[in-house]
This record gives sequence, structure tokens and C-alpha cells, in this order.
Amino acid sequence: MVNLLVAFVTGLTTGGLSCLAVQGGLLASSLAGQIEADVQKMQVRSRKRRKDLRAPAANRSHLAAPILAFLTSKLVAYTFLGFLLGLVGQMFQLSPATRAFLQIAIGIFMLGSALRMLNVHPIFRYFAFEPPAFLRRKLRKTAADGSPESLSAPLFLGFMTVLIPCGVTQAMMAAALGTGDPLQGAALMFAFTLGTSPVFFAVSYFATQLGKKLERNFTRVVAVVILVLAILTIDSGITLAGSPVSLSRWASGIFGSTNAQAAPDGLTLGGSAAADSGDGTVVTVNVQNDGYEPSVVHAKAGVPVTLRMVSKNVRSCSLALIIPKLDLFEILDPTGVKEIDIPAQQAGSRMPYSCSMGMYSGTIIFDL
Amino acid sequence: MTQKITLKIAGMECPNCSMNLERIEDKLKGVLFAEASYRKQQMVLEFDETIVTLDQIKAEVKRLGYQVAGTL
Repeated sequence: MVNLLVAFVTGLTTGGLSCLAVQGGLLASSLAGQIEADVQKMQVRSRKRRKDLRAPAANRSHLAAPILAFLTSKLVAYTFLGFLLGLVGQMFQLSPATRAFLQIAIGIFMLGSALRMLNVHPIFRYFAFEPPAFLRRKLRKTAADGSPESLSAPLFLGFMTVLIPCGVTQAMMAAALGTGDPLQGAALMFAFTLGTSPVFFAVSYFATQLGKKLERNFTRVVAVVILVLAILTIDSGITLAGSPVSLSRWASGIFGSTNAQAAPDGLTLGGSAAADSGDGTVVTVNVQNDGYEPSVVHAKAGVPVTLRMVSKNVRSCSLALIIPKLDLFEILDPTGVKEIDIPAQQAGSRMPYSCSMGMYSGTIIFDL
Repeated sequence: MTQKITLKIAGMECPNCSMNLERIEDKLKGVLFAEASYRKQQMVLEFDETIVTLDQIKAEVKRLGYQVAGTL
């Protein structure tokens, strides 16, 4: 339930903006017929009476129905996609390396999209999904065949957004795949897509009325947000790959603590390592909603080590633990202790680990 | 008499602009084929010059929110 809330809030915040940048075009085209009909009506009226040139507020309400149809269709399509992904996840388990590769590829795509939106160089136009000519023809005919009041075009185009998922959606799709359960996957994508809907609705309802200059400025703001998200996504991928150098590891190195700060009797400052062996053969890490504590633990080299992951009422992605060196992916219990056996490691070696989204990370250093 | 022409288009800022531009095929009688490309910022057109003129096409492109920046 909390995961669904997180998915909803992600959609409401970052997802809405990011997806609008990628899929907004399809929504705009589904509204094109409607807007054009409105413009024509306005022109007819303006010929009768010059003062009517300004569109009455009631005209905007015409846009509500096609936008809602588009969003409902999109919601159904993504929920179905979530179901399919959960089903696939049930059959195959993605390896940590595949997850890392996927995350970095998504990040690069987002980076390219942001640079395209900022008009940095024509080459970045290749980062945009341009539907093939035959599909555009089909979409156009669908829009043209229906009357402006017809909802068939927005319904069809809303469904077609599954072909152009944005970066954040793709990350959520990976999470749906990771649930390994069709119903959970469907629920996750439903919650996320529902979260993106208010932003989609508000922006498309009002942005269609914005001037060209204002629209361009808004696009720049979205582009900068996507740029930041892209950097974070790539960094997550690097963390997932087990790289010792990444922004999140750097941050946890600054703000995190280490079990080297443990008191002589083996108790850490946080009191979490009460069950530690003291000689570094059993090390304990507290799994928290906002990461792993301590983020750096020191363990004994040259002998098998037991890593104890202790969680208590945890509801975040820190429960989805990935240790690339061990090729391990484990979903921890919200409350419980998971003991992971680590074979003997060389002195001085490091074993980075992270959550499945690469957001939270930690390192075991074998130097005792 | 059918003419084929490639127009350089300015103002295509999103991938969906190509679909928007291609609506010229439905709107302007005499335009037999239209295929635009956001990446190339151009549009290939086939039209019957006995029915529609190039100036009318340019005017329609402008009405759709873009400019013809030249011919290729």
C-alpha cells in the first residue's frame, strides 16, 4: 500500500513533468481537432462581432472531455502493461547487471531528451520518438474521421502512449517488472499513471492557451528538471552496477556513518550492532526508509562473513537489496533479520551494495 | 500535373509537429501526399499544381504555426 503511495507521489511530482515532455505531443495532437474547431468558431464569431475575439472561458471546457478520455485510456493501457510486466517478472528475474544497464540507458535517453528540448544541437533530435509515417497517417485519419466532439482520437492516442514511455515511467516499469507479480505490477503502474494525470490535465488544459513564448519558457523548465533527473538516473545505474564512485556513494560517504566508529565493546554508536561478533565476521546493517545505517561497515578479510540486514517497519525501496559482486537480489521483510553469507574476500577489497533503484547505497570494506 | 517538392520548415519544436504538418494533406485540396520529418526539419509534398499553388501551400503551413524556410 505504501509502495503504491510512493508510486502515486512519484507520478504526481517528477513523473508528470517528465512524461508530459515525451507524451505531450500525442495529447496535443488529439486536441488539435478540438482546438481548431474552437478557433474556427471564434473566427466566425469575430466576423460577426469583433469583441468576441477573446475566447470565452466556456470554450476551454470543450478540452476537458478529450483530455480526460486521453488520460483514462492511458491509465488503462499502463495498468495492462504493468500486469504484463509483473507476469514477465514472474517468469524471469532481472540480474543486477541488467538492471544497472537498463537504468543507465534510461538516464542517457532522458539526458538526450532534455538537451533536445533545450535546442542544444540538432543531433539530440534523434533522442525523440517520432512515430513512423504509417502510424502518423493512421493516427491522423482516426482524428480526422471523428468529429471534433468524437473521443475516438484521444482514446486511441492515449492508448498509444505505451509506445513512448518517458524516463520515469520506464523506471517504474522496471519496478513493476521487479514485483514479479501481475497484480502488484498492474497496481503499481495504475498508481503511478494516476499520479501523473493531474499534471497532464492541468498543463494541457492551460498550456494550450499559453502564448508561444510562455510555452517555450515552460519547456525549458521541464527540460532542466529532466536534466537533473537524468543525472540522478545515470548515477543510480552506476551505483547499481556496484561502482565505488558515484554521487550517492559520495553523499553517503559524507553524511553516512561507519562501524569503525563502534565502541570498544562492539556496540555501534547507533546501538545497531549488538549482535555483531566484534571481530568482523558478523556485521550488522540497519535497513531504514532513507538508506542503510551504517553506510560503511568494516569486516574481516580472508574468512567467510555473515552480513545481517536488520529491518524494522521499513517501507521503502531500501528493502530491495542488490549486491552486484554476489549477483544477489533479495527482497527483505519490512520487519526482520536477513543473514547473508559472504565468502572470504581479499584484504582491502570493497563490496558495494544498493537498493534496486540505486537510490540508497552502502559499502562493506574487508580490512579487519 | 503532379509536382514533388521538399520544403525546409522552421518552427518544428517537437516530434509531433510532423503529424500536425501532415494534416495539410487533409486540409488543402490538391495536396496528394505529405510527409514531414522533425529530425530533418523538412516536409516532402506531392501536389497537383492545376488545383493548388505553392503559395497556397506556404500560406497553409503558416496557418498551421510553422514557416517555410526554403525549398530543397
